[in-house]
Amino acid sequence: MAGKPRNRQAAVADAGLAKMNDGRERREDKLSKLCATLVAAVAAALSAAPLRAAEAVKIGVLMPLTGNAAAAGQASKAAVEIAAEIVNGKHPELGNLPLATTEGLPNVGVAKVELVFVDHQGNPSLAQQLATRLITQDKVQALLGAYQSSCSFTATAVAERYGIPFLVGDSAALNITGRGFKWVFRTTPIASDYAATYMRFFDDMKKEGKKIASIAVVNENTDYGTSVADSIEAAAKTSNMPVAIRIPYSASSTDVSAQVLQLKEKQPDVTIFISYTSDSILYIKGMKNLDYLPPMVIGDDTGFSDPSFIPAVADIAQGAMNRSAWDIGKPGTTTSKINDMYKAKTGRDLDDTSGRNMQGFFALAEAINRAGSTEPEKIRETLTRTDLKPDQLMMGYNGIKFDQTGQNILASTYLIQLKGKQYQLVWPQKAATASLDWPMKGWKH
Amino acid sequence: MKWGLLALASALLIYPFILTGPFYWDVGVTFLLAAISASAWNIVGGYAGQVSVGHSMFFGIGAYVPLLFYQLWGWPPVAGVPAGIVVSLLLAVAIGLPTFRLQGHYFSMATIAIAELIRIFVGTWDLVGAAIGLQGPAVGRAWWDLTFRSELPYYYIFLAVLGVVLYTTYELARSRFGYYLRAIKAGERAARSLGVPVRQTKLKALMLSATFTSVAGSLYAIKTGFIDPESGFGILVSVQMVIIAALGGAGTLLGPLVGALILVPLQTATNTFFGGGGSGLTYILYGGMIVLLARFEPGGMHELWDRIAPRLPRRSHAA
Amino acid sequence: MLLLQVIVGGLLLGAIYALFSSGLTLIWGMMNVINFAHGEFVMLGMYVALLVVVWIGGGPETFGFAAAFALFALGVCVYLSLIRHVMRGPMLAQILSTFGLALLLRYTAFWIFSANFVSLPQTSFSGTLNVAGILLPVPQLVAGVVAAALTIALHLLLTRTTLGSQLLAVAEDRSASMLMGIRPDRMQAIAWGLAGASAGIAGALMAMSYPWSPSVGETFGLTAFVVVTLGGFGSVPGAMYAGLIIGLVQALSAYWLGPIYKDIIVYALFAALLWLRPQGLMGKA
Repeated sequence: MAGKPRNRQAAVADAGLAKMNDGRERREDKLSKLCATLVAAVAAALSAAPLRAAEAVKIGVLMPLTGNAAAAGQASKAAVEIAAEIVNGKHPELGNLPLATTEGLPNVGVAKVELVFVDHQGNPSLAQQLATRLITQDKVQALLGAYQSSCSFTATAVAERYGIPFLVGDSAALNITGRGFKWVFRTTPIASDYAATYMRFFDDMKKEGKKIASIAVVNENTDYGTSVADSIEAAAKTSNMPVAIRIPYSASSTDVSAQVLQLKEKQPDVTIFISYTSDSILYIKGMKNLDYLPPMVIGDDTGFSDPSFIPAVADIAQGAMNRSAWDIGKPGTTTSKINDMYKAKTGRDLDDTSGRNMQGFFALAEAINRAGSTEPEKIRETLTRTDLKPDQLMMGYNGIKFDQTGQNILASTYLIQLKGKQYQLVWPQKAATASLDWPMKGWKH
Repeated sequence: MKWGLLALASALLIYPFILTGPFYWDVGVTFLLAAISASAWNIVGGYAGQVSVGHSMFFGIGAYVPLLFYQLWGWPPVAGVPAGIVVSLLLAVAIGLPTFRLQGHYFSMATIAIAELIRIFVGTWDLVGAAIGLQGPAVGRAWWDLTFRSELPYYYIFLAVLGVVLYTTYELARSRFGYYLRAIKAGERAARSLGVPVRQTKLKALMLSATFTSVAGSLYAIKTGFIDPESGFGILVSVQMVIIAALGGAGTLLGPLVGALILVPLQTATNTFFGGGGSGLTYILYGGMIVLLARFEPGGMHELWDRIAPRLPRRSHAA
Repeated sequence: MLLLQVIVGGLLLGAIYALFSSGLTLIWGMMNVINFAHGEFVMLGMYVALLVVVWIGGGPETFGFAAAFALFALGVCVYLSLIRHVMRGPMLAQILSTFGLALLLRYTAFWIFSANFVSLPQTSFSGTLNVAGILLPVPQLVAGVVAAALTIALHLLLTRTTLGSQLLAVAEDRSASMLMGIRPDRMQAIAWGLAGASAGIAGALMAMSYPWSPSVGETFGLTAFVVVTLGGFGSVPGAMYAGLIIGLVQALSAYWLGPIYKDIIVYALFAALLWLRPQGLMGKA
């Protein structure tokens, strides 16, 4: 770098360098003045953004409204908006659903619930920043979200720091409620719950004489698919259920025929798919194309529950099972009416994930109402004492009761089966509204 | 005394007291991180003209190693920062030697491919959390965990790092090494015939750039407390560095800073005003801006300023 | 037996890779410009197919042509408004221009079509053929065969027609071709049009079998880079062979090692190529 020029070429270079540097320094000095002005201008512009005072009860909702998970985020947004309408308005036809019959939150001066949505785009750092904004600028009393586990991780840490209750409606990663936080609550079942459910289902089926000698697990390889698949493998090990093959794959694959052929080779009795929408459809079509019909296929929600799944593959996937805590139910039931409201707004049926967020919202609103106050500590305290019964819920949980880590210990899920153009609830027996077809018919019907 | 630089430094120093509150501080921290990353990229991408679109490989390493140290041995993440730099340097050498033989577009494509490869690989490697990623200490055990409750300490730490990066770049630019870089950017063959040690220079530039990028990644991981393959090694991380530097003026000292100054508030504002509506306008604007920039003003704001400045009323001043 | 199945599947998809990559290699050979938005061209072709089916109920021939025309037009527009100006400029500008274009196209598609995955309703091609124990889904079979035919057609266009020789002349030596009365600007615009068209049709062909969303452009773009590098820049026959090879490599890696590794293998192959033999199979050194 600096040092005596070794030869004439370098000397010329250095001389030219000095001259260039001089001119550049003068220009850069001007540029720095420009920068300083810019900083001031930007600061002025940012501070002009209005600060909103806390009037109604405000709940911040973090969702991925753009990016790869936008479809799910938008669906959940619509669902939570409907839930707010139910709480804020009079809906006596919705029975035991908390706060449906009344207008607003009666114990908090009939305050209306106001939702503040933010789009974290699936970016955990942005989720962190937006949680900060919601709490310090928008002055929300509670938070709900955030779909991707990575975003829930960072956003809940912010809530914990500021002492604002955060209710996780849908993220499945185990560690969200495993960090010793006091302010984080989760109503949805987690990966290990799902794994346990599947094992119980297999036990029931074996008792009925169905052959389940081995299973296969096919999972998309982001945090969702990986955590559920890991849990299933762990549960299968303790239940002595052999896993014939585990196939992690990238959800953006164009072609999955190689994977289908691997399955065809191993011939598992049940294949569990932990997939997003496009890949779920690809697999079903691939299985038909390659003439591979396993005795049973179970989709782990998500892809199999997406509104575009049934229209795309209903004819060739008859009898495919899915896990869901949401069942539309017979016409006239509370759940069916909720679905009608959602369908009127979006044109589609309510899906399980959005339903779980909606349920999370109801739990939150119910607790705020029971606390009779908008003070975060009081809300948190009432949340710890939440005890909702199954008939007060829209989802099929056994209730809502949080343990000391904030996890709902009564969270559970159904298994549903595709019959015709709809899923019917087939397991557990006591909640079933239709009989279980085994093996699945697929395209042979 | 360079009044402009002084004004700039002062503005940055007192910004948290002009716009107070954790949210604005967080925006400030985001801005500083963007400026650091883009300035780091600038060394090899701007000054030397080697347009790497895979710099996330260094960012990701810098982010993962500290959190890995925490996960495996419970060490404070900051202890892993030097190790992150070392791994990044090794990668820079391993990549630089074969890849710098490639010209222009080939080089860029190679960097993209390698960054993607690393991203996918990390996503399957259980040791580093595979697809789930790694977390930092949820609650700080002591001050050296650097998990501050407020954004303010992060702001000043990041500002100090930015200062170091800019100062290094400044000294670099006015040295003979900087001259070599510019010669290479203007034309490699000509530079070689002038006696410029092209390969060594490019490699050194990459190594320096990788070091600072790695530090930026470490800062990100320490502040966010979380890293996964997408946020560490994703292509948008690389693209953002390039865009910010280009917007302000790649190959200039303050270009990346100006770029960050424009882009970060713009992103925050569009997210605030349109975000809840979810139309994805931010990235459409992003894309449109980049196309316009490339088409009309590839030199970025710096070049635009250079063209406008002479026309502004002059004031004589001593150098 | 299953192995043969894997191989055939890989080759059929590889033919489609060959088709959209041949356009990319043509541009690269002629102008030394990489189109980072090429994957988005393919993605747009898929959406054109969807619009044709939904709006006018057209069949594969209709939406195939529609995709070709629409993307030809887009390619020409992009050349005239953007590429022409950045081609002779700094490297950074060239790279940024098509990168920015990729972002613009992708997120505009997100805005217009939303992020939901869509697929075409059943077209006139459906069902599966059983040929000597190998199952060939008809849409994939048709797509692969048509793609291969079109790629060969493109090669013939370049080597056997006047237009083709004009295009190649500009690629070879710009100034000399001007002296021969060829307008390089027009030829380059046509090249971009052809690149767009090949990407568009490839997209339409894939739309018959696979669901998609605006995000798929990214993967296709990277695949195209790999194929073009393997095939050699500027060589359409190279892109043909390389496309088939990459399709095969992907399918075999997915079958033997597991689907995750197929991407790693392909990118590692890419990096190795760039380092060891950047001119690929058939490109000029």
